[in-house]
Amino acid sequence: MNVSIKWLKEYVEFDLSPEALADRLLMLGMEIESIKQLGEGLDRVVVGRINTVEKHPKADKLVLCNVDVGSGTDAQIVCGAPNAREGLVAPVALIGAQLPNGLTIKRAKIRGEESSGMLCSQQELAISDEASGLMELPDDTQIGAPIVEALGLDDVVLELEITPNRPDCLSMIGVAREISVTTGNPLTLPDIDVQEETADIHNLTSVTIEDPELCPRYAARVIRGVKIAPSPVWLQRRLESIGVGTINNIVDITNYVLMEYGHPLHAFDYHRLAENRIVVRRAKSGETLKTIDAEERELTPDMLVIADAENPVALAGVMGGFDSEITDQTVDVLLESAYFHPPSIRKTSKALGMHTEASHRFERGADPEGVIPAINRAAQLIVKIAGGEICSGIIDVYPGERETPNITLRPERVNFVLGTEIADDDIRGILTRLGFAVSDAFEVTAPTFRPDVEQEIDLVEEIARVYGFDNIPTTLPRGDIPIPKVEPKEDLRERVKTYLLQCGMMEAMNYAFYHPDVFDRIRLPSTDPLRQAVQIANPLSVDQSIMRTTLLPSLLANAQRNRNHQINDVQFFECSKVFIPNGTDEYPNEPERVAGMITGSLGAGVYGDPFRPADFFDVKGIVEGMLDRCGLSDYTVTHTDHPAFHPGRRAEICIKDKTLCVFGEAHPEVLGNYDLPNKAYLFELDFERLVDVVEPLKQFEPIPIYPSVNRDLAIVLDTDIPASRPIEIIESTGGELVSSLHLFDVYTGEQVPEGKKSLAFAIEYRSTTETLTDEIVDRVHGGILERLEQELGATLRS
Amino acid sequence: MQEELKQIETEALTELKTVEDLSELESLRIKYFGRKGLLSTVMRGMGKLSKAERPVIGKLANEVRTSLTEAFDGVEGTLNQQAREGQLAAEAVDITLPGRLPQLGKKHPVTQTFDRIQEIFRGMGFQIAEGPEVEHEYYNFDALNTPAEHPARDAHDTFYITDSLLLRTHTSPVQIRYMEKQKPPIRIIVPGRVYRCDSDASHTPMFHQVEGLLVAEQVTFSELKGVLYAFVQQMFGEGTRTRFRPHFFPFTEPSAEVDISCTTCHGEGCRLCSGTGWLEILGAGSVHPNVFRYVDYDPEQFTGFAFGMGVDRIATLKYGIPDLRLMFDNDMRFAQQF
Repeated sequence: MNVSIKWLKEYVEFDLSPEALADRLLMLGMEIESIKQLGEGLDRVVVGRINTVEKHPKADKLVLCNVDVGSGTDAQIVCGAPNAREGLVAPVALIGAQLPNGLTIKRAKIRGEESSGMLCSQQELAISDEASGLMELPDDTQIGAPIVEALGLDDVVLELEITPNRPDCLSMIGVAREISVTTGNPLTLPDIDVQEETADIHNLTSVTIEDPELCPRYAARVIRGVKIAPSPVWLQRRLESIGVGTINNIVDITNYVLMEYGHPLHAFDYHRLAENRIVVRRAKSGETLKTIDAEERELTPDMLVIADAENPVALAGVMGGFDSEITDQTVDVLLESAYFHPPSIRKTSKALGMHTEASHRFERGADPEGVIPAINRAAQLIVKIAGGEICSGIIDVYPGERETPNITLRPERVNFVLGTEIADDDIRGILTRLGFAVSDAFEVTAPTFRPDVEQEIDLVEEIARVYGFDNIPTTLPRGDIPIPKVEPKEDLRERVKTYLLQCGMMEAMNYAFYHPDVFDRIRLPSTDPLRQAVQIANPLSVDQSIMRTTLLPSLLANAQRNRNHQINDVQFFECSKVFIPNGTDEYPNEPERVAGMITGSLGAGVYGDPFRPADFFDVKGIVEGMLDRCGLSDYTVTHTDHPAFHPGRRAEICIKDKTLCVFGEAHPEVLGNYDLPNKAYLFELDFERLVDVVEPLKQFEPIPIYPSVNRDLAIVLDTDIPASRPIEIIESTGGELVSSLHLFDVYTGEQVPEGKKSLAFAIEYRSTTETLTDEIVDRVHGGILERLEQELGATLRS
Repeated sequence: MQEELKQIETEALTELKTVEDLSELESLRIKYFGRKGLLSTVMRGMGKLSKAERPVIGKLANEVRTSLTEAFDGVEGTLNQQAREGQLAAEAVDITLPGRLPQLGKKHPVTQTFDRIQEIFRGMGFQIAEGPEVEHEYYNFDALNTPAEHPARDAHDTFYITDSLLLRTHTSPVQIRYMEKQKPPIRIIVPGRVYRCDSDASHTPMFHQVEGLLVAEQVTFSELKGVLYAFVQQMFGEGTRTRFRPHFFPFTEPSAEVDISCTTCHGEGCRLCSGTGWLEILGAGSVHPNVFRYVDYDPEQFTGFAFGMGVDRIATLKYGIPDLRLMFDNDMRFAQQF
């Protein structure tokens, strides 16, 4: 909502700078989007009259004008505007003017002819977009006067953001009332004086409301014999100053009253209404209406229309109809002022995608008692500006009249809720200034323009707002503090995150949406359950049209994005919910997942810590370390068939026969789909499952007091025997005496026969009860070797 | 024999002066002190001396031995120190070579901001609560006193899943869910992701909020001011000013928007605060009695307040991030900065 300070001053006196006013309004609940000084850059623009027009000797399209600019001698100005003519009064930018578009006016010769100034269009003065010719001013405008004064541009316009609970502030009078409350200066409403002629409106038209729920009130007046013309300059300037375009005097007046009172009006051409009468009803199926923006609208029966005896002529509370609008030929006007049911207006305007000044106000709640003042104010202005006569009487059909309820206000409750000590008299004073009626016993009646005030708390808010939030004390809560619980899940999430950070992975944060094609990109077969995703009905784009069911594509896309910026070494993890549908209209499950990805090189890449390519065992190690952090050691690592991974380099971790985590190297096709030049290693862990299986806090284990004996064991065995086999044999044979086991070398090549590999283990033997002797260790170590030989065909590597 | 000893001493001291390293010193030590060394040889001749001479010579011999031992030890000490110094000098590194930094990951700035907010409110007795992101219209709007066709719904550009299921537009629905299950006193904060269909430099279709709710008997608006004041002091630094402005939210009344003095210009006016000196950081208010009615609380018995803040926005303010969308690009050059 734009408000002009000059305009506001018609209703309330105040002596505040625009900034100070903005501050007051802000602290009453109206945010300021902008403060605009009108007429900027028009310092050396004055009103001039063209005295003579001659042809330019050297240019067909230019003329030489002698212009009276009020300085005593005429200025010669070269001009190319089609409407330059003798006697025209128009704005003149004098030498030295710096126009809003940046143009500086200098003395110049144009095709050899002296030109000392420029005759201006509206666009050149940044008044409107009108650029077809010179701005034409009324003949009686004072010649030589600064244009800023002549056009009333010595004004400041504030752009206010009005919250949806305050439709009353979508008007000059509404904002003026707030100023009156904050300054204490009285609010002066316009004097409305309607001179009626004898012809009775009831003989000329009628209003029938078929749906009183959607239209609780409809009033009409008829004004006959008007002369349609452009509005006077003051009215045009008023509307333009707050950003409302001008059309003709009648429409401009309805818009003026709309802005002044906040009450939307509509003017019909009386003779274009079939049987000259009004029927307020729901649209019939299949009915259409061409609105004044020349769009053909398809109507449905839940939309309220204003119809004549035959067809809809306006979309109630939203927009008028094309065929009944005011034209240059209009002579008699039927003026509408009504009150419509807010939700119905909102539905209609949403269904048709039409947001208008009228619908904006009606859907927030206009003032049902504002119907009559608004129609009378408009009638008064029409007669004054466009001539004509007002027929006697108003048709005022008001089936929805309701008594305004009383609200009982307890002043002590006000202070209790706010934590204040506001005196009863001050409470009464605030409410009275806002237009509320307050009885001695604090029975309060809200004014009809305040549909937001329904109960005591609404009054508390009004009092707080005007009393000033700044004046409310700042205190700390009293009473018992509940003991905050920390959910085990929060704790575990933090533990996992901290671990992954320590692994050198950055935390990623991705949108929860996908393009449906990601499932193809990660090679999910058409039957894969992960393809069952929650669909967004109104996505911003297909790229963001379904909710994630797996985090892996996000991380791959992150790698791709970095790759596009020449960053090939990327390590990210993400902890996030995915969305698993549960059938239509049911809440989906929202389990949490932890996923990670490493691609490119690891290491600091500095002297002594060179880069090395990441591989499968890096991602496996990260996963195993994470499980160790969660106290988990009793799990199996087996092959998986997850299609996003390389078939020979993928695995899953199961606990109690249920999958906890998959990991591996991204399938070469997947790498190709994400344009990744290097291999990428990913894991995705079911965090909900982790919460279920996580072991409680680890208990202390005694630090060993007996020394250990360390033995290395290098064996040669068939390449296709997995490392888990010898490891299992060593651990089961050595039992508790094997206190640690490291596989420190895996070798295939010239030193071992074809089809064989060498594994080298460092075994640490230790007893918790005695110092081990060589004899004991030899016996166990020998037993291990024997089983390796017998069961795996291994040989000791020489 | 006396002269012999004296001569040995003189020669030994002279030779000692020419010693250059520990091995030379060792040879010299053997020459004099070794089993076949000069001193031992002389001492072995002691037996041939008379009883009267024996103690005199013996004493002299000891003196010579002692003085030589001290001299040898002194030289050894010097040589040892020289050797150590030499070794240390040889071991010097080029301290301008780069250090090897541990390769540690970094939390996303939004997470870091979340962590800080949670820490502050936990300190004031608030507990963390969570709720679903795919939410029912009832919790997202209706029970928050925002019925269908309420214009306040316009402020929420909502992603719908079905007619009644949507992606929650704020974390406020968790207020309702929590109050349905729990009786006062309540102090919770709700960190979470929320969604609105909007995308530009200051809006992303997914972002993060922290909601707060405090309900008990006798909670006042002044206490809302106190809690948020305490939060701002801890989050943005002591001396940060706060400003409560009247605003409108359907589920609180009175409602306020809360500004803090600009973190960049401290109120002078700059580009970040559009010259106003203030930055809007959260919305708040006393819980609307209608909301209490939805969860079967008696609004006469209980009062409370709620607040909500955009975590991403606070993170952009704290870290000076110019475009909200950078948060979700996951560019390593961004991630490594914080």
